[in-house]
Amino acid sequence: MSWLFGGRKSETSNASSAAEEPFLNDSESQKSLGFDPSQVTNVSSIISTPGALDVSRLHPLAGLERGVEYLDLEEEKLSTMEGSRSLIPSRGWTDDLCYGTGAVYLVGLGLGGSYGFFEGLRNIPPNSPGKLQLNTVLNHITRRGPFIGNNAGVLALTYNLINSSIDGLRGKHDAANSVVAGALTGAIFKSSKGLKPMGYASGMMAAAAAGWCGLKSFVL
Amino acid sequence: MSADHTRDPCPVVILSDFGGAFAMGVIGGCVWHGIKGFRNSPMGERHLGAVSAIKARAPVVGGNFGVWGGLFSTFDCAVKAVRKREDPWNAIIAGLFTGGSLAVRGGWRHTRNSAIMCGCLLGVMEGVGLMFQRYAAWQAKPMAPPLPEPQPAQPLRA
Repeated sequence: MSWLFGGRKSETSNASSAAEEPFLNDSESQKSLGFDPSQVTNVSSIISTPGALDVSRLHPLAGLERGVEYLDLEEEKLSTMEGSRSLIPSRGWTDDLCYGTGAVYLVGLGLGGSYGFFEGLRNIPPNSPGKLQLNTVLNHITRRGPFIGNNAGVLALTYNLINSSIDGLRGKHDAANSVVAGALTGAIFKSSKGLKPMGYASGMMAAAAAGWCGLKSFVL
Repeated sequence: MSADHTRDPCPVVILSDFGGAFAMGVIGGCVWHGIKGFRNSPMGERHLGAVSAIKARAPVVGGNFGVWGGLFSTFDCAVKAVRKREDPWNAIIAGLFTGGSLAVRGGWRHTRNSAIMCGCLLGVMEGVGLMFQRYAAWQAKPMAPPLPEPQPAQPLRA
């Protein structure tokens, strides 16, 4: 809408004045064209200009001494956000989400599975055949492991989504981000149970997030 | 053949696949069971029904997806390490092992059938992927630039 108020008038007048007198300022035209137009008379003079047809610059592999630039692939770049360095190199929020959720899910699955394993060992019916013993232990593992793993995974998924959103909004990452994301995660996780469980879960998740931040700063 | 630069090298990619599959399952399960719980609840309790269905079922769907994806990735890495090559057979063999190991508690016949089903599924997926790859290569095949139109000789002027 700037054309309504004449906002571009000065630009156009500048451009037209530059177009009217293109060759008056030699150094300026040299900068924009790359050569001096007043010295070019024919093709042979262009070819014989030093540096115009340098073999070492025209070769397809020219410029290798600057490093292999064509291997700097876009999608392999690591995240450049301030303070986003983590234990595993990350390319962005999708990596954070996948690795965080996967690691927490596997830890939950392993802890729940081992708890179920020992619970199953304690609950083996006496004088039972081997197949029944194995079945009892496996039943207890598959009852405890996936339950804890699923809940831990959902918590980690929510935490990572909220954390990455806050990071994206603020443009940087720090411990306060993580703690806030953990508190929100706990509140959302228990949001259908009432205010008091929400508060407890929120506090626990914030403490867990703070602990993770402390561990990260200790290891890095 | 260009390498896939969006995926990490083998041992750590298992973690990422676990998490990615779990996230996919949870989000998809939220949509699926949200709609299902909404439709199967009586009027007036539809939102409550949707929320309770999501709470009860979405993590389970996520867990099933995650275990499947993670096991598949693990077997894929193992098969790659043993065969020392990358081709569609890797995914098919990994699918066989995944389907078999997930059904191992149902008895020998169940294990065998599930493994064959899973392998066939992965085979179809790999085949479709190869077809798309061929199609993309066919679309991007090098073309000769069009020759300029031969101009009729201009009569000399002056």
